[in-house]
Amino acid sequence: MFALLIQDPVNINGPDRSPQQAVDAYGQLTKLASTFSHVDGLFYFTYAVCIFFFVLIVGVLLFSVVKYRRKTWDQLPASNTTHNTPLEVVWTVIPLIIVMIMFAWGYMGARDMTVVPLEASRNTYKASAKQWNWTFHYPNHPVASYNEVWLEVGKPVQFLLESSDVLHAFYLPAMRVKRDVIPGRYQSVWFTPTTVGEYHLFCAEYCGKDHSKMYAKVHVVDTATFNAPQRPWDQWEDSTPELAAKSGANLYSQLCIACHSVNGTPGVGPSWKGLFIKNADGTYTGRQREVIDNTDGGKRKTITVDDAYIIESVHLPEAKKVAEEPYVRNAMTAFPDLDERKVRGLIEYMKTLADTK
Amino acid sequence: MTTNVPVIDSHAAPVAGRKNFLNCSSGFLSWAGTLDHKRIGIMYLVGVSLAFLAGGLFALLVRLHLWKPDGMLFDNVQYNQIFTLHGAFMVFIFVIPAIPGSLGNMVLPLMLGAKDVALPRLNLLSFYLWLAGALMATLAIVLGGFDTGWTFYAPYSLYTDQAVVTIGLAVFVLGFSSIFTGLNFIVTVHKLRAPGLTWFRMPLFVWAIYATAILQVLATPVLGITVLLVAFERLYHIGIFDPRLGGDPVLFEHFFWFYSHPAVYIMVLPAFGIVSELVSVHSRKPLFGYKLIAFSSLAIAIISFLVWGHHMFTSGQSTYALFAFSFLTFFVAIPTAIKEFSWVATIWKGSIALNAPMLYTLAFLIIFAIGGLTGVILGALNVDIHLHDTYFVVAHFHYVMMGSIALAFFAGLHHWWPKMFGVMYNETLAKIACGIIFVGFNTTFIPQFIMGSRGMPRRYATYVPDYMGFHQASTIGAMVLGAGVALMVFYLVASLFQGKKAMQNQWGGVTLDWLTPTPPPLENFDEAPVVTTEVYDYSTLDYKAMQTPVA
Repeated sequence: MFALLIQDPVNINGPDRSPQQAVDAYGQLTKLASTFSHVDGLFYFTYAVCIFFFVLIVGVLLFSVVKYRRKTWDQLPASNTTHNTPLEVVWTVIPLIIVMIMFAWGYMGARDMTVVPLEASRNTYKASAKQWNWTFHYPNHPVASYNEVWLEVGKPVQFLLESSDVLHAFYLPAMRVKRDVIPGRYQSVWFTPTTVGEYHLFCAEYCGKDHSKMYAKVHVVDTATFNAPQRPWDQWEDSTPELAAKSGANLYSQLCIACHSVNGTPGVGPSWKGLFIKNADGTYTGRQREVIDNTDGGKRKTITVDDAYIIESVHLPEAKKVAEEPYVRNAMTAFPDLDERKVRGLIEYMKTLADTK
Repeated sequence: MTTNVPVIDSHAAPVAGRKNFLNCSSGFLSWAGTLDHKRIGIMYLVGVSLAFLAGGLFALLVRLHLWKPDGMLFDNVQYNQIFTLHGAFMVFIFVIPAIPGSLGNMVLPLMLGAKDVALPRLNLLSFYLWLAGALMATLAIVLGGFDTGWTFYAPYSLYTDQAVVTIGLAVFVLGFSSIFTGLNFIVTVHKLRAPGLTWFRMPLFVWAIYATAILQVLATPVLGITVLLVAFERLYHIGIFDPRLGGDPVLFEHFFWFYSHPAVYIMVLPAFGIVSELVSVHSRKPLFGYKLIAFSSLAIAIISFLVWGHHMFTSGQSTYALFAFSFLTFFVAIPTAIKEFSWVATIWKGSIALNAPMLYTLAFLIIFAIGGLTGVILGALNVDIHLHDTYFVVAHFHYVMMGSIALAFFAGLHHWWPKMFGVMYNETLAKIACGIIFVGFNTTFIPQFIMGSRGMPRRYATYVPDYMGFHQASTIGAMVLGAGVALMVFYLVASLFQGKKAMQNQWGGVTLDWLTPTPPPLENFDEAPVVTTEVYDYSTLDYKAMQTPVA
């Protein structure tokens, strides 16, 4: 058992999760990065009230235990009081007043968080949740991003949330924002990011196997970066095959890594290692592969892996399905929003994983 | 409370060779077919203890796995199964039946001066339904496990390929066990009180079990129907909760919490009852605000039906629903606070015995203060939006379910152990174990409060490295807690073989359960008791004349 405890951690997969969330001045909450300061205000108010009552209760308790502890078996109590009406009224009414303050404060805060202001609704993103990925669509920009999203600092933003399978929840601790994502209906949240930085976005509603890996990173950037001609989520460097492979590797680590390994280990889907074979002259040949062709009545066929096959498999995974256990039983998530240029980046990355002849 | 019949010399050692419910008959069938509430209580005690140990083992595996950010022991599917097993075993098989089934069965008729519960055959049926449910849940593990969390949220529970129908039916059967127990206790309290035992002379444990029984009868059917609907939907694809078939997953949440919030009080009210009882006996003082405590149990029982929506503050309910549910949630805080204040006021200026049951009770009072107060933090709407489904919630309900309910169960177990078995455990070991459990428990869950308020979501097989230190502290705490529980099991079991003989009235209590021989005879009292004095009137016992009890 001890050997298990000291072994080195395996690297965490998916988007880089390293940024340590800053902690606020009281050391209890994550540093607030949105305008919802009423959450922190009420949290610390309630916390203080709780500490007061805790000290009061435990103080009286421990004092009594020390002072009135039974020393001999036949010791009788120092008092037999069973009622004290003023005291009972006080300890009913005072907590009642305090909790009603908390209730009103909390309700007003929640209303603020629920009612989306016009300015935020004019800056509406769409976040689509799917086991176990987030896809983000931007207002006034056609390119979507996966498991990473960029926001402009100081600008109120609304997220329309949709799920295409089970329940998820959109949770941004630093913004104090959480909303369940429910299949079959739209939900929305809004907030105004106030601090430039990188923040965790978690799925907070249990959604199956890789619930804990359903992670996205939120980048809050300044206006200039956000509005640069090359938008931060639209940077796709593929001027050389090496750079395209690098971009592809990056995308792989966000999107594909949960199901496809790159070292030959079988996952939910087949490994990418050896999909291509590198010839002596530096060219690549696709591997032969047995598939079930659902575009042709489910016939079994042997095909050669090529760009067209991979692009089709990303956009329409069920079209030609690898006829091997266990992959034949698993359904791959479709990525119809992934444009061809990016899939070609993935292909370049796959080629770096080719077997040599 | 005294009786007008000559009771036993309440602090003398038991008469040797006297027939009691344990030795009046023997053989497997004399237990398996028994209608005696005390034997059924002991069978429940053995059963729920095994379920608790199994659930605890799952918990330790969960904690060990989370030592490293990407997990140590399992893949994600296995982890999801283990935390689901932990939740399902603890909630449905341990916490809900634990106190009513074991201590309630054992003590309630004794406290009422009755020979048995009103419906002894139904009582035995309840136990066998519990057993069937527990076996079906175990069968579901054999069939490949289940990974929905104990909440079975749709539509995931409709799509996952695991043994959801089996565990759903197990929950259904366990629900009937709970309903029958509740029904039985309601009838017993109404019909079998001893002459002179008016409602306001009933010990508070009886009040608490009574309020619990009302909840069990009224709320549990909703859970039964809900899990049946899930099973039907999985088997026959009827669209109730599945949006693909025109159903609504939020409807499931409403149904589920309509039961499961009252269920929190099904679990916690009996614990309140035990604590009320023990605080009084071990301070040798009448309970402060007896009627207020009795009524607050009923008030909690009623209001608890109207607050289920506070489990769904982030589900997109209308702001009007948020308003109502949050308001009523804060309202529950008041009767709960009154109880805590009343217990402390009872201890104030009492004659406080620092024996094992009282130490467990004091541990309860401290832990429950934290559990209750953090519930107030979660009741605030905007704060809950941040904390919902994080480890803060996990820590909060463990402070209530494990720290409070299980500790109250332990306290009650130590209190009535000499009455049940006629032997005393090693009190020194008991005090040490209580200390270890208290320290281990707080070390486990205080870090969870902190990481939860910093955003660590629950039900995560892996996590971002920000939270590693807290997880490791929590894991260490869980190991300490596990060691404490193991020590407790050891000395309790050992006492059965080599424990000293207990006194007739080990703690100097004045409720009827202490005024009958130890262990009680088959039909509880040699002569039917008649109650002539008020409840918790300790002036009726002459402590000077008693021997100092063994410890």
